[in-house]
Amino acid sequence: MSKRVILLVEDNPSDEALTLRAFAKNNIRNDVVVVRDGAEALDYLLGCRNDPADLRAMPQLVLLDLNLPKVDGLEVLRRIRADERTRLLPVVILTSSGEERDIVEGYGLGANSFVRKPVDFVQFTEAVRQLGLYWLIVNEPPPVIWH
Amino acid sequence: MSALSREMQRRYSEAFASYLAGADEVALHQAYELGRKALADGLGVLDIAVTHHNALDAVIEGEPAMARSVEIAKAAEFLAETLSPFEMSLRGYRDTNDQLIAMNETLGQARAAAEAANRELEAFSYSVAHDLRAPLRGVDGFSQALLEDYADRLDDEGRGYLKHVRESAQRMGRLIDDLLALSRVTRSQLDRAQVDLSGLAQNVAAQLQKAQPGRQVEIVIAAGMFADGDARLLRIALENLLGNAWKFTGKRAEPRIEVGVTSGDDGAFFVRDNGAGFDMAYASKLFGAFQRLHSTDEFEGTGIGLATVQRIVNRHGGRIWAIGEVDRGATFYFTLGGGARRA
Repeated sequence: MSKRVILLVEDNPSDEALTLRAFAKNNIRNDVVVVRDGAEALDYLLGCRNDPADLRAMPQLVLLDLNLPKVDGLEVLRRIRADERTRLLPVVILTSSGEERDIVEGYGLGANSFVRKPVDFVQFTEAVRQLGLYWLIVNEPPPVIWH
Repeated sequence: MSALSREMQRRYSEAFASYLAGADEVALHQAYELGRKALADGLGVLDIAVTHHNALDAVIEGEPAMARSVEIAKAAEFLAETLSPFEMSLRGYRDTNDQLIAMNETLGQARAAAEAANRELEAFSYSVAHDLRAPLRGVDGFSQALLEDYADRLDDEGRGYLKHVRESAQRMGRLIDDLLALSRVTRSQLDRAQVDLSGLAQNVAAQLQKAQPGRQVEIVIAAGMFADGDARLLRIALENLLGNAWKFTGKRAEPRIEVGVTSGDDGAFFVRDNGAGFDMAYASKLFGAFQRLHSTDEFEGTGIGLATVQRIVNRHGGRIWAIGEVDRGATFYFTLGGGARRA
């Protein structure tokens, strides 16, 4: 059975490269779909997918940055939770800020986790390892709902 | 109800009759003085009017023939003189009121400006939190990637440089975090309540021990210390003070940290250690942001901790000061406006 994809919503190319590197170093072999802003993320997730064969495209996990061009991360999360097809999707906020209001609002909108990206890459790699272990292996994902 | 005393009424009638008879300045001055006294006694214009009416009646009753000859204008002059202190006071009141209104307006503008500045600071901090750390992750992460993937193509010196790059990036990350904590301390609102300072100190000490289980530090915390303050902010203050004590006793053979209250009515809380201490000549620099009395090689730090503590203490209306000696330890004292006490 092929692994389901991870959707990485990240506008910073350096952060994208580092996150992919951290996946690779931790043997996380899921395909990663990278989108650069909130609008792209919503296009991807809420785009019309009536074909059951396309199920694989529904990610197992969304890693969501907050500070994004066009539609910000919290708004993306709001729209994900408002849509029948994606409302159960595991969404982990992975962002620079540890500002309390972001954390409170993130959880308020139904984020499954809030992880602050450490500056230290060794710590960052460890955070990604634990994220991958938990969300891709330990955790039982919700069934995909398609229409 | 209040009214002019008999004595004052009598004096009014006498001076009034005297003024009608001769229009002398002395009588007029008496009218003014009576008015001033009535005003000072908290009496009103109506009390004066009643007294005036009685005095007028008395003059006419005493000499009915006077009824026609009493000059209305002169009687009115006398009454007006008596009432003049009231008028002046009213004018003063109005002026004061106008000034108050003007001051309120200025105050309102100042407050609006302060609120705008605060919002700007909020937005600035938010942007710092989000945007300033991201490039540092790039600097640190790709340096690490070079160290991992290209280590064999670099000599020791090259690898050493990359380690310096990483250390610098991480240090800047800590600086940004500490600066944000400092600004958060200023921005957050103060929620005062009774705070168990002993419990808080125990908790912070346990945290320090947990982070460095290998260290053996004797920590003595006085029991029953309570403070009137914001628990969240006081925790940050103790984290910094105890964290410093923990750090600066790092090279001691028998490190000791004590938290307590000084005796006396205006007792102050204190955190004492037998660590590296400091030269009192630099005591004024202790609480300035980015001021450090030790090199980073000696003791790691960003120089923002004590500035944060001072800001917290200031926000409570308290005071902070320190006594120290090089290699003999340091004691930091602080009050919180409400006075230190032990239950």
